[in-house]
Amino acid sequence: MMMNNMDSDNGLEALFEQARAHPPRPSEALMARIMADATAAQAQPLGFVDRLRALLHKLGGGPAVSGLITASCLGFWLGVAPPDGLPDLAGQLLVQQSDTAYEATDLAGFGWDQDEG
Amino acid sequence: MVMQIETEDQTADAEAALLQRYAAGDPAAARLLAVRLTPRLFGHAQRVLGDAAEAEDVTQEALLRLWRIAPEWRSGEAKVTTWLYRVVANLCTDRLRKRVSTPLDEVAEPADPALSAHQRLQDTARMDALQAALDSLPDRQRQAVVLRHIDGLANPEIAVILEVGVEAVESLTARGKRALSAALAGKREALGYDDEQHG
Repeated sequence: MMMNNMDSDNGLEALFEQARAHPPRPSEALMARIMADATAAQAQPLGFVDRLRALLHKLGGGPAVSGLITASCLGFWLGVAPPDGLPDLAGQLLVQQSDTAYEATDLAGFGWDQDEG
Repeated sequence: MVMQIETEDQTADAEAALLQRYAAGDPAAARLLAVRLTPRLFGHAQRVLGDAAEAEDVTQEALLRLWRIAPEWRSGEAKVTTWLYRVVANLCTDRLRKRVSTPLDEVAEPADPALSAHQRLQDTARMDALQAALDSLPDRQRQAVVLRHIDGLANPEIAVILEVGVEAVESLTARGKRALSAALAGKREALGYDDEQHG
């Protein structure tokens, strides 16, 4: 005996409704295990790797951090070994600290020599 | 409708807020989250797996992952329940793949209602029949039908959980319902629907 579509839809909906009204209930033992897990995970202090992972996550994840590292390395490299046409600020600063003869350096262009007197 | 959406958002915010409290060390937040979430996850897992012990394991594992990810949880990116349903769905899929499929013919028939004097026994028989019919569905259809028609989730949320498009969800639920109807077609009288209609 086959139900027609309307009958089957009504019958199915009645079964679904009954299933929603009487959901399977988790046992007390399961709740106890879950609470034990929660307490253990909460009490566990974060290790170095976990803290590092959390920091990376807050910074935006792996791709964002790799971009940050790349930009930092590039900036450092441009400061140490600038291409032609850019002032060698790092080199001039190092020279200035070891040698007071800083005439005719690009630093004069910023007016720092004036501030120094 | 707007009110319903606002209520759902407030619920989602409440769960995310509880998770933040848990991550900050509030022990009461864990209990509140467990009480709110465990019945839903366990109910879903049991409907999909058809086995209470396995459903308990899946529920415990999903919540364990939630406790561990709590310090890194970023509010506003995903609903806690959606994330959890997705974890449960994946855990269920893993377990179902390891099983040998059982044809509907080999699933135990529901108890004969003629022997049941009480409505409660008939209700049990109906739920057993529904579970047997659900067990006969392909895994993805079963997950979609349970999420839509028993857990009461909307299709867009189911699409996120099952990692498919909304149209695929509609197709899965439609085919699932047709298969359920076919599986239950010969059991209408045995489940007592004809008695209620005529009596």
